[in-house]
Parts: sequence; C-alpha cells; structure tokens
Amino acid sequence: MKVYFLIAYRNILQRRVRSLMLAIAIIAVSVIFSLLLALVQGVQDTLIGNGTALMTGHVNIAGFYKISQSSANPMVTKFPALLEYAKTNIPEADIIIDRVKAYGKVISETDSAMIPMWGVNMEQEDKVLGRLDIEPSTDPKNPADLKRLKESGTIALFAVHAKKLKVGVGDMVTVSVPTYRNMTNTKDVKVVAILKDVGMMSQFNAYLNAGDVRTLYQNKPDSTGQIMIYLKDLSKLPVVEARMRKDLSEKGYSLMDKDSAPFWMKFDRVAGESWTGQRIDITTWEDETSFLKWIVALLSALTFVLTIVLSIIIVMGLVNALWMSVKERTTEIGTLRAIGMQRTKVLWMFVLESLILSVTSTAAGLIFAAIVCQALNAAAIPITDEAFKMFLMTNDLSFTFGFTQAMITFFSLVVFFTLGSLVPALSAAKLSPIVAINQS
Amino acid sequence: MQPISLENVQKNYYLDKVKVSALKGITLTIDAGEFTVIAGPSGSGKTTILNLIGCVDTASEGKVVVGGKETGTLSERQLTDLRLHTIGFIFQSFNLIPVLNVIDNIEFPLLLQDKLSPKERRIQVMKFIDRVGLSQYSNHRPSELSGGQRQRVAIARALVTKPQIVLADEPTANLDSVTGQNIIDLMKEINTAEKTTFLFSTHDHSIMNQARRIILLHDGRIQDGRLQETP
Repeated sequence: MKVYFLIAYRNILQRRVRSLMLAIAIIAVSVIFSLLLALVQGVQDTLIGNGTALMTGHVNIAGFYKISQSSANPMVTKFPALLEYAKTNIPEADIIIDRVKAYGKVISETDSAMIPMWGVNMEQEDKVLGRLDIEPSTDPKNPADLKRLKESGTIALFAVHAKKLKVGVGDMVTVSVPTYRNMTNTKDVKVVAILKDVGMMSQFNAYLNAGDVRTLYQNKPDSTGQIMIYLKDLSKLPVVEARMRKDLSEKGYSLMDKDSAPFWMKFDRVAGESWTGQRIDITTWEDETSFLKWIVALLSALTFVLTIVLSIIIVMGLVNALWMSVKERTTEIGTLRAIGMQRTKVLWMFVLESLILSVTSTAAGLIFAAIVCQALNAAAIPITDEAFKMFLMTNDLSFTFGFTQAMITFFSLVVFFTLGSLVPALSAAKLSPIVAINQS
Repeated sequence: MQPISLENVQKNYYLDKVKVSALKGITLTIDAGEFTVIAGPSGSGKTTILNLIGCVDTASEGKVVVGGKETGTLSERQLTDLRLHTIGFIFQSFNLIPVLNVIDNIEFPLLLQDKLSPKERRIQVMKFIDRVGLSQYSNHRPSELSGGQRQRVAIARALVTKPQIVLADEPTANLDSVTGQNIIDLMKEINTAEKTTFLFSTHDHSIMNQARRIILLHDGRIQDGRLQETP
C-alpha cells in the first residue's frame, strides 16, 4: 500500500504545475460549494430563528372555532387545560407561551396598513419576542421598550410598517379589527417599540397586548390564538408532534387533519366545512412558514446547479490531466504489467493519485471556507438592497458552516472527482503490457 | 525447474489489413539454467519470441510452455501471476519507475508477490543491491544514475524474486561496449551461481559470442540453434 501512495504522491509532485492548477480548481469548487451551502443554511437558520420568534413555536396547539358553518375563527377556546397538558406532558419543551391572533387595519394620521397581528403576554416573551432587535427611538422622552406591551393600549410595529405609517415611538395609531360577528371594533394604541425588519416576514407581523386583542374581538379570557411550544432539541419534533396528536385525540379533542400550510391559508377550507365548535390543529414551524420554503428551495437548487456545473468542469480537467498522465506513463504501466502487476492494481494506482489530490484539495478548500465564513460573520456585512433583504430574510449576511455540512461537501466532492478519474484509470488498466512496452 | 518449450509456434500480426507473419513455425526447447542468446537482424522475430515466452503475448498457432504451463490456455490474470512468480524482465530502456529510488524499484516485484515480511524484503533487496554493486546508490532515483547503473537496477529487480527465467530484450543496446560487457558478465555470474535460465536477444556479435547457446533467427524461422563453448 505504502508504495502505491509513494508512486501516486511522487507523480503528483513530479507534474507540479498541472497538479497545482488542478488543486487550485478543486479548492475553488470546495470553497464556492461550502460558502453557498453555508449561505443556504444561514438563511434556513434565520428562517427558523425569525419565524419562531415572530409567528410560530416549534410545535403549536392551534385550531379553529366555528360559531356557524361558514365561519372560521383562528382560536382555541378553554386553552388553560391545553396549556396545562403541554406543561405537564411535554418534557422536551423549553418554553411554552400563548398568543392571540388578530388581523386588522392599523391607521395613522397619514396612512393605514392591513397587518396580521399577535396579542402577546410579555411575561412569557423574554426569550421569544425579546430576541428581536429594536430600533433606537428618535425621541429621548419616549425610549423604545418592548416590555411596555405588558400595558394595555400599546403596539410594537416593524420598521417597514412604521415607515409606511410615518410613526415613531410614542405616536398613537388606531387598530381596527372586524370581529367574528361582522362588526368592526377599534382601539387607540401607542407605539412602544419599532422592531428592526427581518426580511419578508416583517410584512406579516405586529404585536399588541393580548388583553387588548381579546377586548377587540370580545373573546373570553380563556381563549387564545395558539399555544406555542419551543423544544430543547429540534430533532425531537416529529416524536413530540405525534405524541401530542395521540394524547389530545385520546382526551376527546377533535383534531384537524395534518395540513402543511400556515393557519391563514386554511380559512377558506375551514369555512367551507360543515362542522361547528372547536377543532384543534397541531402545527409545526415548518407548516407555519411553509409559504417561505421556496426561498430555501430556490437557493438550494441554485447551489446544486452551480456546484454540478463547476464540478463537471473540474472533473473534465482532472480526467484530462490523468489521461495525459496515462499517455506519459504508458511504458511504465506496461513495465508494471509485465513484471506482474494485476489490472486492478494499475486501476488503483491511478485512482489513488486522483484521490490524494481531491482529498487534500477538498480538505484545504473546506478549511479555507470555514475561515472565510467566520470572517464574513464577524464582519456582519449589512445587506443594503431591500429586495435581497426581503429575499434572504435577514439584515446581515449570515453563514452557517457546520461539521455535518462540511462532511457532506467533503465526501460528495471526493466521490465525484474519484468517479471521474475512473475513466482514465480504467483505460490505463486495460493497456496490454506488450503495447505499452513496445512504446519504449 | 521446468524447461521452456515452443512447438510449431506461429505469430501473425495485421498491419492495417495486411497479414504479417513474425514467427513461422518455431519449435524450440530451452533447458533450465541455460544462458542463451536469440540473435538475428531487425524484424527476424527475436522480440516476438521473448514476448511469447514472457507471457506478455500469445501465439497465433502452436504451443508455448513456460514454467510447466501452456500459456495459451491461461487467463489474463493467470498469465500475470505466471509473470510475477516465474519470470524476470530486463528491458533495453531499463524501464525503471522514475519516481521510486533504487531500493523501492527493486522491492516492487516483492511487494506485488506479497510473500515476505517487510524485514525479509529489505534483506533480500539489500542483498541484490550489493550483488549488482549499487550499495552506495540505494537511495538514488533512476534519473540520478548512469545507463549502466540503471541496467544493474533492472537486473536486480528482475532477479529479486528469484525467478526461474530471466528474459532480456537487447539489454546492452543502450550501453557503451565496456558497460555492456560488464552487464553480460554480471548476468553470466548470476546464471552460474543461481542456475537461473537467461534468455536474451541481441544483434551485437561480441555479446552473442559469449552465450553458451545461440539461436539464430531469420525472417521468423530458426536458422541455426547451435551450442558453443564460452569462457
């Protein structure tokens, strides 16, 4: 084995310029592939991070209450029993909160905007809503303070809405919501914080005091929009979801069928169904943010296509280089075959050469990519283009470069390059010793 | 040790669509331990005979028996094994592996055989390096050696597995006369000491005359197969 390594290694060194060019090309592909994957993973992490802060738990107990066949109210009645169930029967949970859902118009002196809103209990929200960044107030007398949502008559808006409505911290706006009985209720509320935008999802969220939302909708205090459960370990999600479905069904709750869509896409379907009363809908963060999945899918597809194209170019270079090596070493191959080397070992000798080159270059590329990711994250490069900001759902470029991802990149590229090298290696192995020797 | 025998062997090639007969019914037996030269002008079939005996080529017709095995009945893998365990090759252009040093080049066939431990291999290799007088060059690569030294490495590589037969295709063709003579002396010395069968081709008369047997080829046929007394 050692001698094959020695031959392969020394052949690489002997053809220094060609090997170096190939190594640089493989390193470049590894770096580009890793950076793109890190960007996709970064966007996905942002999606989970922001999505779970803004609008969903990892798993939710939500549902619809229908007072008539054609209505569809996104609420859970008598939720304390369900909250108690979650607290006592889901040991995997880290945080459990509940939020009330609302949808209405926010009206300022100059403009108005239709916004889906959440009624929150700030006592529960430190580790959830509290994770979001707040824009500093321009009015020193009215400092931004998200915690003031504890008080009745308060609202927190995202910057995108604050800009449209031309309001700042301390300004008053009117919230107008159509109730389930087709009346419109309004309440004047004070802006207590402007949240920094987090891409597209900023468009779909604003936060009110939970009590105010219940008042606006004239709901009972034991009703809520959804119970949001955050798990310590996200990999446990399928198990927890399945157990919740089983438990709640056994407790006599009527459950909705699994539908991987956010709650606001279920209105028409629910309104078209003939049942009345309460039905519970167990949803996950993936269901509630599924309307944004196309972004991750698109980025993943772009990464895949780009990597395949680049890899094919590199494999062609590698195949060409090995082919030249086979040509140059025809006599050597013939000699080795003549002195008793089997074809499989000739094949192995050439594959090993490509393996050494691809393993070392890919590893070097991954190390370099990891350093670049760290540097880019440390630099916190702001995204200035609004369209990109919306698309990538973040204000800064964020790269997540994990061990698993590095291993996937490493093995897929090495396997790809090694498979490519099989073609010239096979042609070397097939060389007849007599033809090869005669060349000398 | 088994003799080498060729029985009515013919070898035909096709150049484009023209059939060329390189050997036209050769019958020949070479006993174990012989020091035999195959001589003849270019194109007479010297290399073709060596290729057939060396199992790197097969006869179009007739029977070639090497190491007690009829080569025409063996698979590619079996032929490779026969070469590895029975035959040693010495090439006109030395054909050493350029990226390996003297020790590694000589050790290579032993690694392919995979019979000896690393320690035994090393002892065997050093013995043959010493035998060909290259002890002080053991870590040199082929490019750092003269033509004669390279051919000595090739001889050591051919002999290190203690083969029954050593085939050498014009081993002195690329060497000056003094170095060529030294190489022939070395081969004769090993032939006497180890009783290894040596079969080599040449068209150099001074070299030819040192063989104990000369097989003279002409146009694919044996013209003369005499034994001669040599010092």
